[in-house]
Amino acid sequence: MALAPLDGAITLDQLSSDPYPIYRRLRAESPVLRVASTGRTLLTKAALTKAVKDNPELFSSDDPQTPMKPAFRAHTLMRKDGREHFVERKAISKALTPTRIKTDWGPLYERLAEDYIARLPRGETVDLFTDLCGPLAARILAHILGIPEASDEQMMRWSQLLIDGAGNFGWKPEPFAASDAANDEMDALFAELEPIRRVEPDGSAYSLMLTADDPIPMSQIHANIKIAIGGGINEPRDALATILYGLLTNPDQLAEVRAQEAWDKAFEEGIRWVAPIQASSRLVTEDTELGGFDIPKGDTVMTIQASANRDEELFEDGESFFVFRDKNPHQAFGNGPHHCAGAHVARRTVGKIILPMLFDRFPNMSLPNPEEVVWKGFGFRGPINLPVVLN
Amino acid sequence: MIRVTYVAHDGAETVIEAEEGTSVMQAAVSNDVDGIVGECGGSMMCATCHCYVDEAWEAKTGQRSDDEDEMLEGAASEVTGRSRLSCQIKLDPSLDGLVVHLPEEQL
Repeated sequence: MALAPLDGAITLDQLSSDPYPIYRRLRAESPVLRVASTGRTLLTKAALTKAVKDNPELFSSDDPQTPMKPAFRAHTLMRKDGREHFVERKAISKALTPTRIKTDWGPLYERLAEDYIARLPRGETVDLFTDLCGPLAARILAHILGIPEASDEQMMRWSQLLIDGAGNFGWKPEPFAASDAANDEMDALFAELEPIRRVEPDGSAYSLMLTADDPIPMSQIHANIKIAIGGGINEPRDALATILYGLLTNPDQLAEVRAQEAWDKAFEEGIRWVAPIQASSRLVTEDTELGGFDIPKGDTVMTIQASANRDEELFEDGESFFVFRDKNPHQAFGNGPHHCAGAHVARRTVGKIILPMLFDRFPNMSLPNPEEVVWKGFGFRGPINLPVVLN
Repeated sequence: MIRVTYVAHDGAETVIEAEEGTSVMQAAVSNDVDGIVGECGGSMMCATCHCYVDEAWEAKTGQRSDDEDEMLEGAASEVTGRSRLSCQIKLDPSLDGLVVHLPEEQL
């Protein structure tokens, strides 16, 4: 067999500004393609992306050279495999289960959503991306994690700096200097709160990890909270903004969603249509083959969930936002051992609480100029503005 | 081939045939059985393949492991003594005819 073809034309700018036409072409012509600008082998068909994620022995998350290490000042569970990953993941996932979210946290989430939605002015044009999606996601996460003392501004800033550092594949000094400063702030807050969360357990992630029978080391507790900060704000923020865009630009569907109270379906469709996390990397541990091509050991493959979610083999007219699909087997939360730990929280908060509450308060909310909305991102993607009129 | 019957929360039965070695979750997902999601692909990370083993089959499917037990704590529907993560039940000939009941919700 031969190596996958090598592409020298696709640029990172193209992938960031408008990747979907490229992915559609690749699914049809070249579903396994080495893309020079990314330094990775891109996989754009759903069967391939799922197969890779479901096989962690062959396609490892463990990347010793990842810029995530300096960015988080730790080797985090996102970049571990097997038992090591399982133990650390289990320590935090106890705070993120459906039972806990429904019974213990539901009322708090509702109150937080009410507070933030009540602040929005009626009859004006408001950028919901900056004024609601980001801050509310930050506030809810701060409570889940057990660090509500952190401000929305801190949570959002830390999150962005961790992401910037983690994506610093050029190993430039500035992003690491910025993530270092954020790490200092976070470590100081965690240390200050530790005795309180230990003595007065509150069911938060921090508290549960500190008071576990067989706790993971403190350095990993910190790393887990940082991973959740880095990975738990932009995604619900972008999901919410994407779903709102989809519903506001498809008023017929919005009316039907309202009539059927199908907010959960709208949620699933939004994250299928534009997955907040579009791509993930896996290190190949043995010579293998994918889609008829040799994939050598040491290669890094990139699963493009964004493309898998529009694969013609699984979705009819996957390019369109259509809430009432028969089946929606999207991969927006990933697959395999690293399946999104925050999936239940996101479904509950965005799908069951925030969306219905927002449309209940502003039944005639509109997006008068959808063409003004700017979409951006290759690894992470969503609108970066959402100017709606609230009525 | 091994026969498995999935009884949905509303009582509707789906019977499928699966190969030995596949899990009760995989068999459901590859046959489009509603009510089993199995989002993490069987790595015990999501608790969306929760099922209740029929009383008659309890002894044959065996005990749940400690890890499975902990993950089940997070299941969306009530967990009982017969609750299992269906990704952890591997089909072998002794399970031919297995009946599992599905919970009201997985998410």
